[in-house]
Amino acid sequence: MVMAEEEESGVSIQLEFPKGRVKKIMALDKDVKRVSSEALFLVSRSTELFLQFLAEKSAQVAIEKKRKTVNLEHIREAVKRHQPTRDFLLDELPPPSQPTKPDRPTQPAGRPKLDPPPRGTRRIDLFFRKPELDDPAQAQPPENPAQAQPPENPDQDQAQSPVPVDES
Amino acid sequence: MDQDEQDRALPIANVSRIMKQILPPSAKISKEGKQVMQECVTEFISFVTGEASDKCHKENRKTVNGDDICWALSSLGFDNYAEAIGRYLHKYRQAEREKINHDKKYENPHINRAPPPPLLLSRVTRDKVENPPPSPPNQSG
Repeated sequence: MVMAEEEESGVSIQLEFPKGRVKKIMALDKDVKRVSSEALFLVSRSTELFLQFLAEKSAQVAIEKKRKTVNLEHIREAVKRHQPTRDFLLDELPPPSQPTKPDRPTQPAGRPKLDPPPRGTRRIDLFFRKPELDDPAQAQPPENPAQAQPPENPDQDQAQSPVPVDES
Repeated sequence: MDQDEQDRALPIANVSRIMKQILPPSAKISKEGKQVMQECVTEFISFVTGEASDKCHKENRKTVNGDDICWALSSLGFDNYAEAIGRYLHKYRQAEREKINHDKKYENPHINRAPPPPLLLSRVTRDKVENPPPSPPNQSG
């Protein structure tokens, strides 16, 4: 349905933006349950005013810089000059100079894992520490001689068990 | 920009046309400038809507109405817009009343022109019901 344009003292109520699109954008806010038709109308109209305002300011910036083409920098400058607009919009604008992201991810170079030496191989560092192990004070423990004596009576030996008997 | 993203932004053609109406005839707009402006105005809608919705939530109302939008604009610092929008709101309500009267005329079966679909009429009725005047807060004597 095309809304009839009613001109009274130059005030037009015909909308520039499609209603469905504006409504869809408003509905992106999860808290918004329902929107009356007049609210939809007012948001659409105020957005037009905002666009006209920002376009005008951007054009002024472009003229100051003696440019005929309005570009991103001029829009950013216009946003900065208006406090309410800057409050909600400056963070949304792309940064002035976009830094190039590193292509390759940074990986810490790890040391190659050393394979454990084969079994039975002595560590090479022991050879260098060998002089330190020469301790003349260290003596070997005395070896106790075996006190076991063969039985004297061969006859009893054959009759009794081979376990040696305590003679004490 | 895929289709889903396009549905979440205002059409860039409309944005571009309104900009050209404002700019001097010799001025041009870069493609990047148009895209950024498109994002700016789309963000403006979300910004105003969020503020108006917060007010509704605090007052335990579910429908965002025109007065909420006017309040949000003023609250966010766009006082000039609030004044202009106030005038537009008045004009809009007047137009709605005239449209209703205009629709009623065509309920006469003797006129050849077909009456508007019932959905439109019920929508207007529903909008009225959904916008009851807020009851004044109870004041303890």
